[in-house]
Order: sequence, then structure tokens, then C-alpha cells
Amino acid sequence: MTIAVLRFPGTNNENDVLRALSMIDGANPILVPSRKGLAGLEEVDAIVIPGGFSYGDYLRAGAVASVETITEGVRDLAEDGKPVLGICNGFQILTEMGLLPGVLLPNKSARFICKWVYLKISDHPTMFTEGIEGSIIRVPIAHAEGNYYCSEEERESLRDELRIPFQYCSASGELDLAFNPNGSLDNIAGIINQKGNVLGMMPHPERASRPVLGSSDGLAILENFVRATK
Amino acid sequence: MTLINEGKVKRVLQDPNSSERVIIEFTDKVTAGDGEKKEEFTGKGAVACEMSNYLFGYLEGKGIDTHYVKKLTDNQLLCKKVTIYPVEVVCRNKAAGSFCRRYGTKKGIEFSEPLVEFFVKDDAFHDPLITAGAINRLGLVNRQDLEFLRSVALSVNYYLRELLQQRKLILVDFKLEFGRTEKGYIVIADEISPDSMRIWDSSSTSMDKDVFREDKGDLIATYQKVFEEIKKAKPQDVGPRIERMQVIVEPKSGIKNPPGEVTKKALERLGFADVHEVRMGKIFTISLKRPITSEILNQLAIMNVKLLSNPISENHKVRIES
Repeated sequence: MTIAVLRFPGTNNENDVLRALSMIDGANPILVPSRKGLAGLEEVDAIVIPGGFSYGDYLRAGAVASVETITEGVRDLAEDGKPVLGICNGFQILTEMGLLPGVLLPNKSARFICKWVYLKISDHPTMFTEGIEGSIIRVPIAHAEGNYYCSEEERESLRDELRIPFQYCSASGELDLAFNPNGSLDNIAGIINQKGNVLGMMPHPERASRPVLGSSDGLAILENFVRATK
Repeated sequence: MTLINEGKVKRVLQDPNSSERVIIEFTDKVTAGDGEKKEEFTGKGAVACEMSNYLFGYLEGKGIDTHYVKKLTDNQLLCKKVTIYPVEVVCRNKAAGSFCRRYGTKKGIEFSEPLVEFFVKDDAFHDPLITAGAINRLGLVNRQDLEFLRSVALSVNYYLRELLQQRKLILVDFKLEFGRTEKGYIVIADEISPDSMRIWDSSSTSMDKDVFREDKGDLIATYQKVFEEIKKAKPQDVGPRIERMQVIVEPKSGIKNPPGEVTKKALERLGFADVHEVRMGKIFTISLKRPITSEILNQLAIMNVKLLSNPISENHKVRIES
């Protein structure tokens, strides 16, 4: 199954994602530079938008990339129900595109945060969390704009429709403000769209996909993503 | 044809072919001093009409929106139907007329930059000067629209002045009226002729209605002469004026603004203890090589929502630089 790993000018996590995906059976990840436009997404079964600083985070993180031609192809694939995963800057691009609700504001501390965090995975099954529902995983974050915010209306529908698979928590799974690294509403670390095939998350599962990296907790998310492309 | 409105020197008639158009008829009357001095000169309507036709066409060619559609007869223009703003916009390059009377200024003093003044159209009060603040408070024109009227006046000033300069003519000042079309576009209305502007030749001799105001010669001959000169100028040699708009994007109230908060803390460290709050946003300065129009402001509103700001967390406002 062909998985397009997009690279915008300023994306810098594409190799990490390509390497992590290539270790998974059945995955055929390919690098697609955004300049290829819609042609780059022909014959593609799924898309990952990796992290980095597309267009230098100018304007707002993800804003300039979100209006590139290739994003129309991302939108079409998402509408077809194919899996789309946005990690870090990829999540920011998906919200700027309007494929996911809300916006990622500057961190509450106004600082770039690079550290390991714990995530509580929702009990509710999703395409991306099969087999790890309800568990706690350890993954790294690295961002300056990860403070998730949305309108009260959106917040309610995210809750009611069980579309919050990942929340920042303590090692034992407490969902307290003390374990919220960036000020995100409801400790939100990742959300899915209504159809359930588009996931945006600030933490980096690809950086926690092998024991040598310090954790392989993120691998399950990528494995589920690959499985969903079949 | 139905008469819609009759002014001192012009009549506005309903175009029988379209409800969205009117016919403006230029009469031979000339008035000054709020109608105190009046007379009729055969052919004055025709020359004022012909000049308005020429200058509206010139300004349209430079990208400025006017109510002008085409010339119908010697003294009739076909125009878009507009709702006229009750404010006259005057742009001055040199001191003359009511400006000198108001401040006792010597006639002909050059301003360091063009001055835009507003007058409220009210015969009973002799069309008094009015401030922008009073216009807003009286609900005559809102703040944004008034800013736009000012920018169009300065734009017209540039294009007319450059054209006249080619023939060594000096644009001293002029008056514009504005209207809103049915589509909501703001356009220049009324007329552009020596009735509504002061033009001097290189020896500061009046080539406009001041000839009549001050009984200084043959009005018709003067109008014809200045028009002949203007027609010799080359519109294509007048280059575009750079116009600028600023989009100010701010975090919505209630949205935490960490960049502003750390800036405030830094200011406190520097001893500025009275700073209550700092909110940091962005300013985009967008320049155009053409005049700003209602259509461009509409496009800018779309730009704001689509890219420049994120409506979930940010507010935006537009300022026209003038």
C-alpha cells in the first residue's frame, strides 16, 4: 500500500516517518515533495504530513502550506475515507486546512517545548488506536505552537462524538492541568475528524517507534495507520 | 423622462432604459457663493459635460471607480444610479477659496502634502466644514467608508495633478461627491470640471470658475482653453501610484497571548510598571500598483479570512494608508 509522506519546504521529519513506516509489513512509503502538486498523490492510498516548520512557520504554523495545490489532493483522499495522519506541523496544517477543527496557538509558556510526555489513549476505539485503547503511552513532543484551542461548540462535539483519542496525562494516567505541557484545551494532544479517518496529533509517534529511541509506544499508532490503508 | 433631482446647475433624470441608471444633464447655469451669484452662459453645460466625460473616462482608465457610463448628448451623461453621500470631499494642494477665508492664509501657499477636507451638504447651513469625528457621530458616513473616500480623493488628486502638470497647469484644489451603487460599491459621482476644481496656469491665472466668482474674464473661453490643454496631455504617460493597505491581525479577546505576556514581563523588568496588558498581533502592509476600489476591499476581506488571519482565534481590521 502506497503511503505518501509529504514534504513542504521546511518539513524536516519526513525521513524519520519514512524509516518508521518502512519497518512495518505491507507499507510502501514514498516521499512526495509538495511541488509535485496533485500529480504527486495519484495512486496513493494514504497520506502522512510529517512535522517540521513548513514555510518557516511564517504567517501562522501551517498556514502557508495549507493553501498549496497538493492540499486539494489531501482533501479529496480524506473525503474518500482514506487514512490521513498529520503529526506536529502536519496537525497544524490539517487545522489550517479546516480538515480538523480548531487551531494550535503558541504554547502557554511562550517557549519551544521538546520533551517526553505521557498520553492517555481514549477507551473509545478508533482506526488509529486499535489494541491500545485505554492505555498510557510515552512519546516525545517538540513544538512552539501546540496549544490546542477551539470554539465551545466544537469542544462539545469533540467530546460528544468521542473524537479525542489522545490527551496529555501523568505516568499513571491522571488528566490534570499539571501534566498539560502547552495549555491545550482539555489536555488535547490529538483529535480525529467525524469520519474517523483523519488524525492530527502534536506528539511524534515516529520518534517513539524503536527501543533505541527510548520508547516504541508510538509504533502501534503507525501500524494501525498502515493496516487501515489496506 | 422623470426628473429625480434638480441641483443648482445640473438635473438628474431617470434613464428610461434601465432602473439602475440615470441621465445627468448639465445646464448653462453658473452659480457661486452658495447660489448668491448666478448667471447663464450659452454652451457652459456642454463644455462642463464634455470635460466630465473626458476626465471620468481618464480616471476609469486608471482604475478609479466612477458613476460614469458614457456620454449621451452634448450636455447629458449616462451614469450609474447611486445613493449620494451627504458629504463633499475637497482635496487641496495649495491654499485658496474658503481655506484662505477660514484661516486668513495667503492664497497660493503650497501645502507640504495634499489636504483632504470634508463639508456637509446642507444649504441651510451653507455647506459647513465638518470633522471626520462629527461625520461618524452624525452617522453620515461610517469610519471605514470615510477612510476610503479620503484615499480615493488622494488618488484622484495624483492622477489629475500629473495629467495637468504635463501642460504646466496647476491643480490647486477640487471637490468630489461620492455615491454608493446598488451593488454596494462606492464610486465618484457628480462631475469633474472647472466648476468643481481650481486650475491655475504657470503664472497663477485662474482657469476655472474663479473667473466667474471674481469677474475676471470670459468663462466659456477659459473653460474651452483649459480643456484644449488637458486634451493635449498624454494619459499613458501618467504612471501608477502605489497605494497601501494595512491588515492588522490581533488575537481575539479571551484568547491567551503568550507572546504579549512575556513582552509585558520584559517591560516590567525594564521598569515600566504601569503596563497593564500587552497583546501581540501582526500587521501586513499590502501595496498595489493601482487605486484601491470597493472591489479590492472585498477581495481583501476574503484574503483575511482565507489566509491572513485565523478566524477561530484572531480578529482582523483593515486600514488604508493615506
